Parts: sequence; C-alpha cells; structure tokens
Amino acid sequence: MSGSKPDILWSPHHPDRYVICDSELGLYRIGPVGGSETKAGALPLSEETAATLLAINSDTPYMKCVAWYPKHEPECLLAVGQANGRVVLTSLGQSHNSTCKELVGKEFVPKHARQCNTLAWNPVDSNLLAAGLDKHRADFSVLIWDISSKFSPEASVAAEKIRLSSVDLDSSSVVTKPLYELGQNDACLSLCWLLRDPKLLLAGMHRNLAIFDLRNTSQKTFVNTKAIQGVTVDPHFHDRVASFFEGQVAIWDLRKFEKPVLTLTEQPKPLTKVAWCPTRTGLLATLTRDSNIIRLYDMQHTPTPIGDETEPTIIERSVQPCESQIGSFAWHPSSQNRMVVVSAANRVMTDFTVFERISLAWSSTTSLMWACGRHLYDCVEDGADGVESVIEKDIATKMRQRAQSRYGHDTVQVWRNHLLAGGNDPKLKSLWYDLFYMKQCAEDMELKLQGNKQSVVYSGIKNIVKTSSGTTESRRCWSGSDRQTDVPRYLSEERCLALRLCGWISRGPDIDVEIFLRTLEQEREWERAAAVALFNLDIRRAIQILNKGATAEKGDLNLNVVAMALSGYTDEKSSLWREMCSSLRLQLKNPYLCVMFAFLTSEPGAYDGVLYESSVAVRDRVAFACMFLSDAQLPRYIDKLTNEMKEAGNLEGILLTGLTKDGVDLMESYVDRTGDVQTASFCMLKGSPGDVLKDPRVQCWIENYRNLLDAWRFWHKRAEFDIHRGKLDPSSKPLAQVFVSCNFCGKSISYSCSAMPHQGRGFSQYGVSGSPTKSKVTSCPGCRKPLPRCALCLMNMGTPVSNCPGTGKSDEKVDLTRENKLAQFNNWFTWCHNCRHGGHAGHMLSWFRDHTECPVSACTCKCMQLDTTGNLVPSDSS
Amino acid sequence: MFVARSIAADHKDLIHDVSYDFHGRRMATCSSDQSVKVWDKSENGEWHCTASWKTHSGSVWRVTWAHPEFGQVLASCSFDRTAAVWEEIVGESNDKQRGLSHWIKRTTLVDSRTSVTDVKFAPKHMGLMLTTCSADGVVRIYEAPDVMNLSQWSLQHEISCKLSCSCISWNPSSSRAHPAMFAVGSDDSNVTYGGKVQIYEYNENTRKYAKAETLMTVTDAVHDIAFAPNLGRSFHVLAIATKDVRIFKLVPMRKESTSTGPTKFEVQIVAQFDNHNSQVWRVSWNITSTLLASSGDDGCVRLWKANYMDNWKCTGILKGDGSPLTGSSVRTDNLQCLTLTGTAAAH
Repeated sequence: MSGSKPDILWSPHHPDRYVICDSELGLYRIGPVGGSETKAGALPLSEETAATLLAINSDTPYMKCVAWYPKHEPECLLAVGQANGRVVLTSLGQSHNSTCKELVGKEFVPKHARQCNTLAWNPVDSNLLAAGLDKHRADFSVLIWDISSKFSPEASVAAEKIRLSSVDLDSSSVVTKPLYELGQNDACLSLCWLLRDPKLLLAGMHRNLAIFDLRNTSQKTFVNTKAIQGVTVDPHFHDRVASFFEGQVAIWDLRKFEKPVLTLTEQPKPLTKVAWCPTRTGLLATLTRDSNIIRLYDMQHTPTPIGDETEPTIIERSVQPCESQIGSFAWHPSSQNRMVVVSAANRVMTDFTVFERISLAWSSTTSLMWACGRHLYDCVEDGADGVESVIEKDIATKMRQRAQSRYGHDTVQVWRNHLLAGGNDPKLKSLWYDLFYMKQCAEDMELKLQGNKQSVVYSGIKNIVKTSSGTTESRRCWSGSDRQTDVPRYLSEERCLALRLCGWISRGPDIDVEIFLRTLEQEREWERAAAVALFNLDIRRAIQILNKGATAEKGDLNLNVVAMALSGYTDEKSSLWREMCSSLRLQLKNPYLCVMFAFLTSEPGAYDGVLYESSVAVRDRVAFACMFLSDAQLPRYIDKLTNEMKEAGNLEGILLTGLTKDGVDLMESYVDRTGDVQTASFCMLKGSPGDVLKDPRVQCWIENYRNLLDAWRFWHKRAEFDIHRGKLDPSSKPLAQVFVSCNFCGKSISYSCSAMPHQGRGFSQYGVSGSPTKSKVTSCPGCRKPLPRCALCLMNMGTPVSNCPGTGKSDEKVDLTRENKLAQFNNWFTWCHNCRHGGHAGHMLSWFRDHTECPVSACTCKCMQLDTTGNLVPSDSS
Repeated sequence: MFVARSIAADHKDLIHDVSYDFHGRRMATCSSDQSVKVWDKSENGEWHCTASWKTHSGSVWRVTWAHPEFGQVLASCSFDRTAAVWEEIVGESNDKQRGLSHWIKRTTLVDSRTSVTDVKFAPKHMGLMLTTCSADGVVRIYEAPDVMNLSQWSLQHEISCKLSCSCISWNPSSSRAHPAMFAVGSDDSNVTYGGKVQIYEYNENTRKYAKAETLMTVTDAVHDIAFAPNLGRSFHVLAIATKDVRIFKLVPMRKESTSTGPTKFEVQIVAQFDNHNSQVWRVSWNITSTLLASSGDDGCVRLWKANYMDNWKCTGILKGDGSPLTGSSVRTDNLQCLTLTGTAAAH
C-alpha cells in the first residue's frame, strides 16, 4: 500500500465493519445516519449511512498487502505483508482474547528480503497463510506459513518492537521456516485458494498462472499467459476464475485451463482491482487507474468447456459511486450488491449499492411497473388532486376523465362540452363556442329554407368572406353624439354571418351587440365588453360598462381610470389626448383595454394594433376585422391569421377554417402537439356535411380514440361514441354480425336482420322477443318447425322466460322499466360457441353463477370461462 | 404524483422484462430463472400471480402480449436461441377456481442460431405477426395465417442487419398513410460501426422490408428502443436507450406519387438527456406518448414529459428499489415533487 494507494477489506464476520489500509490500518463501523450507534464525528458515506472510526493501527509500516483472518475467532486478526517480504500478524481493536494475544505480533520472515505482493488465508484450514513474493534468484516465491507453528506464549507482547531494523530480537515470535515452499525461480504477483478444493492454490506467477497442490508440491498445473494479476475465484461458480493484465480481464474455467474461456473488452487504462460480487452470480466489478467509474460485467451466460458452444452474453455497465477518483472498492460480503468505495486521495469513503438493470412498462391506464433484480414495483399516478393540480395533468388522464364526464356528447348546448372537459381550457372553450354558433346558424338557415347555404356555415369565415359581395360602406355616428366619425364600417350578408359565427350578434341583419354585451357583463368580462361596445362605436356604453365593472369589482381603479380616459376621446389628429394614449396604452396589462386605445388612436384602415394583439381572442379580432377592414384587406388578414393558427395548432382557428380540409390541417397540427384525439374526433363529428369525415386523418383519429376507449375498458363509452358517430356518419354503422339459420330448412330464422345490436367473441345472442308475430316465435318463420330447446327449462326458444325459483323474489322492488328490460334480455337466445349448447340468456346466467360446466349432461365445456376478455368488467359502468 | 409499492415477485433470478396486456389488467414477467409468470389484477388493484411455468432452457429476455382479439397469447424469447408462443387455455382443469390459469406452448421458433434478444407482435391491423431479433443480427418476421391455429407460423421475412441486434420496435401507427415499419437497435459497442438504429419499411411493390433510414448519430450500444403510440399524429417518435435517453422525430416527407422507393424522413432529434449518468437500459411510452419512462445505471427510473412546445423535461425520479429519494443526490432539473411510500396507493 506504501501510503499512496488505499485498499478496503470488509470484516468477514461483522457486516458493519471494514478496514481501510493505506499508510496505517483504520477500522470503521458503518451505521445509519443519525442512528444511536453513530456518534458525532461520523463520516457520511451516503444519504443513509455514516462510518465511525473504531481503531487505528500504525504499528506496521511499509505495508504492501493485507488479508483478514477468515475465522470467527480471533475476530480482528490481520496479516500484513511488508516491503521486505515479512508477514506480520496484527490486530485492531481492544478485544484481545487469549488466542489473539498469542498470535498478534508473530512474524514470518523469508530467507531473502523482497517485496511481499499478496497474501491469502486458506478458507478451510485457517492456519495456512500463503504469501506471494517477488523473485530472488532461484529462491521460492510462494511461501505457505503455518501461523500456529513455533508457538510460544511469551512472544505475544512484542507489538512495540521495531521489526525492520532488528531481525532476530525475539526469536520466539519469528517464524522463518515455511510449511510449504513453492514457485522456485519465479515471482508471484497474485494468489487465491481454490474454493472447490482447499488444498489447491492458484498463483499468478511471472508470465503464467499456476495451480499448486499441497498434497504433491513437486507438481503444478500451469498455463502461460500475461493475465496473471489479481487472480480471484467466483464465489458462486468455483471453476470460474478472473485475472487481468493491464486493461484486459481474462475469465478462466479450471476444467479447461488451457486458454481463457473469455476475454472482456479492453479498457483504456490499466486495471487495479477486479472482484466478483459475493451476493450475485456472475457480476464482476473492475476498477482502472485514475478513474471515478467502476465498470461491471454482468455475465448472464459464459461459455463452458462442456456442452455445446454458446455465445457469451455479457452486459457491460458502469457505475459512478462518487465524483472523485477511486482508490479501491470492496463488495459487502452479505448485503445485496453493496460496496464501499474509497477515494484515491484523502480517504473519502462512499457506501454504494449497484442496482440491477431496471426494466419497465407503462400500462394503458398510466401506471408504471418496473422490475429491479427479483423485485417488482407498481407505481400509480395518485388520483388525489391538491398540491399537484398546478402541474398539468397528462392528456391520457385528462381524456379518461373527460370520457367519463361524457365530454363531446352534448349535441344541443354544444358549448357546454367545454364545461364537461373541465372548463379550464380557454382553447377548448373557444372551440366549442365556435361549433355552437356554427350549429345555431346552420339551424337558422334550415328554417329559412336556405339548405344549400347550410354548408357555408361550416366552411369557416375564411371561405365566407371570400365569397363576400355587395359590401356597403357606411360612416356611422358615435352613438350618443352627433359627431360624424371618419371610420368606415363595412357591411354585407357574409360579414354579418361571420359576426354571428364570432358570437357578437345573435341574428341578422341588424348589428345589435347588446345581447352579447349583457352576457359578457354577466360573466364579468368588463374589459372585453367595453371593447366590443367601443368597436360598435358606442363610447357611452363602453364607459357605462367600465363603471359598472369598477363598482362590481369593488373599486377597481384601473377600470375607472380607463373610463375617464375614454370619456376624453377626441378625434383631433394632433391632440394631447391622442399622443398620451398612444404611448400609455402599451402599459395597460389587459389586452382589451389596450386594443381600445389602439383603435381610437389608429388611422382608419390601419388597425394593426388591434388585429395583431395576440392576447385578444381570435373571435374578437376576426369580428373586428369583419367590421372595419375593406374587401381588399379582409381576406388577406384572414388568410394570414388562418395560416398562423394552422401552424400553431390553435383551436381558436377553427372559427376561420371551419370543418374543412383547412380545419383538418389545423386539427392535425393540434393533435401532433397534444395527442388529444378525443377533441379532434368529437369536433370533426360536429360538421353537418360529413365531407371531413372521409379525410383519412379524421378516420385515423376516430379509430385511435376508439382504441383508447377500448384499452381503458370504457366499452360503454366506446359504444356511445359509435352511436353518436353513426348518427352523423351512417357509413360507419357495422353490419349485423350474427345470422342464425334453422336446423331444418336452413333459412335464417330472424324476422328482421337489422335489429341485432350485439358484438362479441365466443357468445352470441339472438333477440326473438321483439318479433312481430309473437305467437309463433317458437317456430322457424320459414318451415314452421320448432326452434331448439333451452338446455335448462327444456322449452322451445321463443317461450317467455319464467323466473327460476328463488331468484325472482328479491328483485321485485326493482323499478318496472328496468325489470322489463332485463326480462327481455332474459328471453334472448344464447349459446356457447365451443360446445354449441345454449338456452335462454337468463337461465344460462343464473346457471353459471353457481356452476362452471355446461348444463347439458356429459358436456364438460367451461362455457363461461372460455373468453378472458369477456370476463373483464368494463371500467366505465356506473 | 406517482406512488410506488413493492410486489413480491418470487422469481428465483433477475427479472428481465415486464409487459402489460392491452387492457393493463394482466402482466407478464420473465427472468433468468427460465420462467414466465402471468399476473392478474384483482378488482381492489392487487396483483396476483396466476401462472408460472418454465418456458425455456436459458434466461428469458423478453415477454410480450398479443392483442386480445387473438386470444390470450404471449410470446417469449430466450438465450436458448428460441422464441415461443404461449396460449392460455381454459377447461382442462379447475385451475381457474383456485386462481390459476393454464398456458400451453403453441409453437417454438427455432430459426435463430444465436440468443434471441427481443420478440414483438406486429400492430394488430397487420394480422397476427411476430418479430424476433437475435444476437447474430437477423430480424425474422413470422405470420400465423390462421389466427385460430397458433401452432402454424410461417417465416415470412428474414432481414440481416449486419450488427448484433438487441431490441426491436414496431411503429404502432395504423394509418394507411404509413407503411408498416419497425426499428431495430444494436448493442454492438464498437462506435466505429456507425448507426446503431436501423429503420425498415415495407414496400408494397417488392413485398419486402427495405432499410428506410439509419440513425447515424447513434453510435453507442443501444439497449432499448420504442416507437411512441402514434395516436393519429402526422409523424413518428422514437425513444432510444443508449448511453443517454434520446427522442427522435421522424417526419415523413411528402411523397411523390410516382416514386416507389422507401419513404424519406426528416429525422430530428428532439431531446437528449444524460441524467442517468451512464447507460440507459429501458425506455417505455405511455398510451398517448406524452410521458416517457427510462431506467439507467444510476438505479433510477426517470419520467419525461413534453410541453406544448415540444420541450422535454424530467418530471419525476423514482429510485429503483422504491425507497425514498432525497434531494441532494439528484440533479435538480425542474423536478416535480415526488413522494414514495411503501404502502398501497388508493387507486
């Protein structure tokens, strides 16, 4: 260790103790942070653990290697190999019992002084300590000492002696005769005892790996290789050994010890330590010089010399336990995948656990499952609202909630759908109001028998203003004053329609925004109301609204001030009022207040301050444009705005595009950003001419939405969606799925094929109760032969069901309509697709409540369990 | 907010894969102990193991469910060079009463000469098709022509990717505008071999899969790959687990009606995160592809989410052992507060 490179050893028996050896030996105890055992001055190792220094031993200078005595007693005995080749037994801590005292201080001295490279205790015969030394001429390099030899009780107090200067001070504590001498004329760099046979010692010699057998020391098995450093046996697989040379690790199989079974990918820097994980099979940790990363090799499968040639499966991983460069690490002997790491400098220690590779999966209902090692973790999104309501919910969660609140299904008060969606998304609000106004206009036109124009409503303002003709220009007075304005206002039938679609006016041809203003006042949108009033050239009304707002909002000074400013309006071009308003309006926070002054201070026809104020709702800007832009300016502005909306996927733009191809483009952009196929599907289903529904993109959204509902087991919602869709798009209606033919004549026994509303796999039902010829429903309509009998009541199908005894009584209090519905279903003919036995649905259901097998004798079919999906419960049933 | 709880898995070795069925009520796990377990969720939200059986003679790498319209069907792949198709059958015994189900092997696909590293069913609209990829770089596409007979599978396509394959993902888009497409990732660690993600597309004219794109910027070993659920979007999103988390967007270029070659894509990288510090092992999309989960060598599961402007950021970190994660060890990158408890969450 020579002071520079530290090493770590875990106590073989105390799971909470380890030794750091650099220039001295330091014994630490590890414990939880803030635990009773950890005192002040404990060193934090991780967020949960800290280490306390228990003992320091600096008796043994020039340490080269250390090995911990493997047996329980004496517990803190360490062997230290020194630079001169001597091996000294030493101890840490106070618990000196008798055996320990006898051993501590013992020295084992080789014939010739040279560096001791490695030490290894025999795991079974713990008196045997192997030491690997550098080469000295023809001397032996592997010495196996018996620590119990030359036992003399007086020798135990020699700990204070300076051993390097005086060789033979106390001959009784010095052992010079090793039990075995091996590896003549060679050097030994690493050693380990083989776990499969404690008489075998594996040694990394100079340019070869050798296995010595203590029973026959004259022979050795060896293989020439450069990979002779750090030999270590896999504790889980006693024939597997790792060794390394520079940056490369070689894996050996002792059963075929001719060449490595595997060499791992070379690392750029020389390795310093390689260790098998004691708690997990096939996990090898490696450390290179000057690195803060421990590289792990997860050997899922390594080739074996026996059996067929399989390709290895080795997963390379790297973990970074700490920021600083790592000096050494040690696996914890029993804690799963845990290690302690010490930095190369300053003895900074880190407690670290290597996690297994985690595999994970999302379920369709946004819960996350992951597997780490042998454990599974289920992670669900906590439904409770609260602190995290500020964080936007995922669209999947939103769509589920909206589906359950029947979002999209309000076909009368279409605007209410935004409330069903939660009522907190202004874009959705705008969208559903657009669709509501479109529907209103379309219905009005229908009343006026202008059916051909109905499609115009859904084609969007962009197309409406294009067809605009007969525009009249008017210069109206400011209401409440007789001053002539020089603001031209434009009027045409199309512009009027556009205003209606914007929601400003409710019914043409008069432009009367009063109703709209009252609604806004009710919703306390004072600024917006004032702006709309102003745009209708009614300053007095605007001021009135602002005053009302100021009162209602408990003296909102801002509104009063604005009202005051408005009242001073003058149309003189160079007035002080105008100058001040132009500069100060930019300081107004509310966009509507801002555009009011923009309007008042603009030149006629140059309203960029209003038209391009992006915080003002699109519908208001468009309505404004329809009133004040000329036939030349208007389409240009609308086109520009439309493209902007399409680009951004802004749902407000549906007002402009309508439910046309442009609208689909816009919606595509919205779906691309949000994944909200629910809104997209419902929106496109609102168009009365079903042209957009033929667009493959729309079909794709609808299919995806239905698929989502299915995956969430919202089958009832899916069915309702299909019904809703079928009303608007009759082509989407599925054909009848089941036909039943008579056993005798082969003709269909159905009276009306179109009345079969069921789909499913495995079971099918056929309703006979609703047929027109009630008296003859027990026979085939073709040949008048009787229908099959119910397996339970043995009546021909078509006979009304009489309740099974015992089941009917308790249900009597159920309300009649529900009873009737159920009774009709009970009459249905059902059968098992597998065994083809069947009967009345009601009878079958009650039978399978208590039985698993088919009611027909000798039939062992488990009819009810055949379909796993059929046994799932829909998650949206009330 | 996400809450984690532990489930006693009872596998005897490492679990390599977790897979949910279409409805999220069943789950399959596979392990180095050579077995597959099937789990069912009860009405109170607890998971129960309803089947556990030895599937292969080596580590089982991956397990995956077929769409339920094909029945209760699983596929697994293993180090033993095979992939297998399993079907749940009812009726032979009274297992169902005891809360157990019975799975039988319908077929073993033995074409690979090396470890089969991934197995995936093709999207439902393509019929019952199964894809495998193997360590020797071959992707195989099998088809069951008769969905009622799962013992008959014919090898339809064999595509050599030249590099050792580790993972495969089908583009789930069912839009007719998008031809069938899959991406395959390679765990070859030699960075000089170029792009480790290849994208193949079906060509109607040649009736073969042809390489449409190679992501040349991904040069490190790829451990997992996942196409996002398309949900009617006009482009495709691909998440890649390599030395970092990467999200790619593949925007199909407007195709001229006369051209018959593969679709050209505009490939954009929309996010790249190295928060896992080193290797990323898995990526998984939620059903709307608005949340991505990833796991890496930092032992954490991270959740990623994009805002309206397509900016992705980390919205959550969960520690792999379900233990609470305290702030100081985590890079503070716009974290949302996460709490973890050992107790079951109210669902």
